[in-house]
Amino acid sequence: METAKIEDEVKPLDAKSIKIYRNELDDLVIELPDGSKHAKVRTMRAFPLSNPGEFIILRDKEDNEVGLIENINELNSKYKKVLEEELQKSYFIPQITKIKNLEEKFGISEWEVETNKGAHTFNVRNREEVRLFSSGRVLIKDADGNRYEIPDYRRLDPKSIAFLETEM
Amino acid sequence: MHLLFSRNRNDKGNGDKSAKSSEPQKGVDFLEEIPEALEMRLRQEIQLDEELKIALSTDMTIDGKYGKDWLLATEKRLLAFNQNGKVEPDFFHVLLSEVDELEVRKLFGNNIIKVRTKDKGAEIARFSKSMASKFDPAVSEIQTLIQKSKPDKGSQDKVTGPREGFNKPKDFCSKCRRPLPEWSGGICPHCVQKRKMFSRLFEYLLPYWHVATIAMTIMFVLIGVRLVPMYLQKSLFDDVLIPGSTGKAPPNFKLLAYLAFGMIAVNILSTVLGSSREYMMAWVGHRITLDLRHKVYSHLHMLSLSFFNQRETGIIMTRVTRDVERLQEFIARGFPEMVTDTVMIMAMGGIMFRENWWLALFTLIPMPVLVILTFYFGHKMHKAFHIIWKRWAEISGILADTIPGVRVVKAFVREKHEVNRFNNKARELFQGEMNSAKLYTVFRPLMGFITFIGTIIIWFIGGGEVLRNPEFTIGALTVFQSCMMQFYAPVQSLAQLNERFQHAATSAERVFEILDNKPEIADKENAIELPDIKGHIQFKNVTFSYDGEQDALDDVSFDVQPGEMIGLAGHTGAGKTTLINLICRFYDINEGAILVDGHDIRDIKIESLRSQIGVVLQNPFLFNGTVAENIAYGKPGATMREVIAAAKAANAHEFIMNFPDGYDTVVGERGERVSGGERQRISIARAILKDPRILILDEATSSVDTETESTIQEALVRLIKGRTVFAIAHRLSTLKHSNRLLILEKGKLAEIGTHNELIEMDGIYAKLCKMQTELSKIRAW
Repeated sequence: METAKIEDEVKPLDAKSIKIYRNELDDLVIELPDGSKHAKVRTMRAFPLSNPGEFIILRDKEDNEVGLIENINELNSKYKKVLEEELQKSYFIPQITKIKNLEEKFGISEWEVETNKGAHTFNVRNREEVRLFSSGRVLIKDADGNRYEIPDYRRLDPKSIAFLETEM
Repeated sequence: MHLLFSRNRNDKGNGDKSAKSSEPQKGVDFLEEIPEALEMRLRQEIQLDEELKIALSTDMTIDGKYGKDWLLATEKRLLAFNQNGKVEPDFFHVLLSEVDELEVRKLFGNNIIKVRTKDKGAEIARFSKSMASKFDPAVSEIQTLIQKSKPDKGSQDKVTGPREGFNKPKDFCSKCRRPLPEWSGGICPHCVQKRKMFSRLFEYLLPYWHVATIAMTIMFVLIGVRLVPMYLQKSLFDDVLIPGSTGKAPPNFKLLAYLAFGMIAVNILSTVLGSSREYMMAWVGHRITLDLRHKVYSHLHMLSLSFFNQRETGIIMTRVTRDVERLQEFIARGFPEMVTDTVMIMAMGGIMFRENWWLALFTLIPMPVLVILTFYFGHKMHKAFHIIWKRWAEISGILADTIPGVRVVKAFVREKHEVNRFNNKARELFQGEMNSAKLYTVFRPLMGFITFIGTIIIWFIGGGEVLRNPEFTIGALTVFQSCMMQFYAPVQSLAQLNERFQHAATSAERVFEILDNKPEIADKENAIELPDIKGHIQFKNVTFSYDGEQDALDDVSFDVQPGEMIGLAGHTGAGKTTLINLICRFYDINEGAILVDGHDIRDIKIESLRSQIGVVLQNPFLFNGTVAENIAYGKPGATMREVIAAAKAANAHEFIMNFPDGYDTVVGERGERVSGGERQRISIARAILKDPRILILDEATSSVDTETESTIQEALVRLIKGRTVFAIAHRLSTLKHSNRLLILEKGKLAEIGTHNELIEMDGIYAKLCKMQTELSKIRAW
């Protein structure tokens, strides 16, 4: 007896025949390969931290999943740009470029940083909220649920690295 | 003259655990040497040509006292020799062909063998539980004899008794012949040798012998270097200060400067050598820790589930962390210091005797006291530390227990109770620590005082010597003084080392206990690699007991075809989960056989069996990692698409996407950041992704609502086509897709068949079904 293949449970959309654009109300509209149109679409990353460029889930305004884009690069560049913009908006993750000060008081650490979106100060409740990936990437979640990213901590200046190492 | 009937007696309990066969009595001899008086008596009872098959002594008499009775059997008759406290013992005698029933009554703390004939019944032998492993196979043997003695074979099923499945043949220590406790996992607690412990520890040093040798060489050079200042000092007094200050010679500033510079040079040299030695030894120590920790941890994962069932998590954790650390401490610092100190004592002793043997003898007077005290306190401290260690382990046990169970604690408002429990243990630890502190506070000043006496001896006798003997200069006295200090210091530190030594011995004992544990379930030598399983599973008269007392499964037989979905139902404790544990071979069965595609699972490599089984356990356990990592746990290197696909099939995709971090969400320790139903769905995805040939679902959807359950089931039905599935559920609707249902009742297979067949049978299943439909009617209303 032939067993079913697990991959078949996922049917990614044919990226080449998807259209993504904004309508006159500035809502995101998606035209699927089957011709159906969905306005006010929500775009979600399945792996926002480990692999933001792949597996984008699309949900309609009732929050039902309408499809899944396996690789954003397969989209027509015009639509890719729209989707990327939307994703940028949905996932605000500033990149930390410099750690100016990091102090730990009563188990809560206060970070004073420089990001690509400007200077910022935030609190981190727990060491576990600072996650290091093998690539040198660091993801930080602050006490309010905001995310920050350091693409490769080894590229920071030595002083920032020294601050960071106390947290990892 | 001895034993007419006896054959050579083999060692009892020679059963090899790994080769547990379904017929353990084969090759086991039931003949013990019987006393002469009994033998004489026996001859009157039996015919000459009869061969004695069984002769076993009990450890209790039939009236319930400790003593020795005998149970004997030939192929024709069963005999029991009961002293019954009387001088002339009773002799029970029955022909095997008349025996109707032979029963072992498993009682509390003792067992009784009872024989029934058509018109009579008699208790013939009584023994404590420690003899059960000896008697149970013997009783099976007697039953075989009974069956053989009957002309009519049809009546054999009437003879009942324990199957040999009850008694896994217990191991005995090869040295002291004491039975090994079940938890010991093959090592005899009576025969643990401390010295051996250390020689084993040093086996770990071997790979790093070159670094260790360099460090040792540096150490010896260092001892030589440390002697130099003493002689520089002697020269300072005898050649510069005394001649200069008493006007015997002109002040020698040049030599003074040389001495000062010499002192500086020696100091620098000894610092450099000292640090490099320290560094090397630290490296060696940490390397050994790394090796040992790796070995202990990987060995832990080799061990069978029963090892973990018998021990508290906290205690196992302490062994991997604290105990290994202590061994490192000992290897990196304790041991080298011990060697240095010994060499130092010898060097200083040599110098003292060379300078003035008479004075040296006096200096040694306090030594015996010092040594005796060291041994005395060392022994006491070992005990004290053992107690402290145990209490430490208990405290971590409480923590490992209550912190994960904190919700239960809160729900039952038992915080105070838990705090008290912890406090009591902490207080006990305090007591233990204080006991050792008490020892310390007596021991240390005592040692100080003994050193002090040595100093006084040198002042008094050495001073007199300087005044009397012109050969013995003031410089020589200063050499003597510093020699004595450097002689006593290592002796004192050796005394403290003793305690370190004891620490390390205790830790080594515990670490090696893990390493010495043999996995109860291990691959046979000629175990086979199983290619892709088809999924044909047969149970043949399977009997299994967790504790050897009560059967969890009793004579279960069935045959499952590849691709069949089997629903398992029955009351709680009926043995459903046990059955599944056995398919995964988490435990080995006591009797019968489990065949996968016609191979006994004990002949298959464990890895090749388990890698083809996917399990969703009753209480799914998630590791602290992301959702994606947890789903891909059984299939390293799974693609993202596969992960999403598995999650979709398990109906987990939607809630996962509702987490802001999606599949990158960290589930937290033991998965406590996701709900019970979510945890179940993630673990179903994990099992599906492994793409197993045999899928086991133990109450896999019990925490999800019926609607979600049926969507999961739809996906499962699609995916499990061609796979053999075992599904346990209390909610019978969960089992609606099953080809056949298997109903267990008190460890026995009660009913087997399709839904319709079982309903028609109107048995347990039909009753359960009726009850649940009625329930759903009420709900509907």
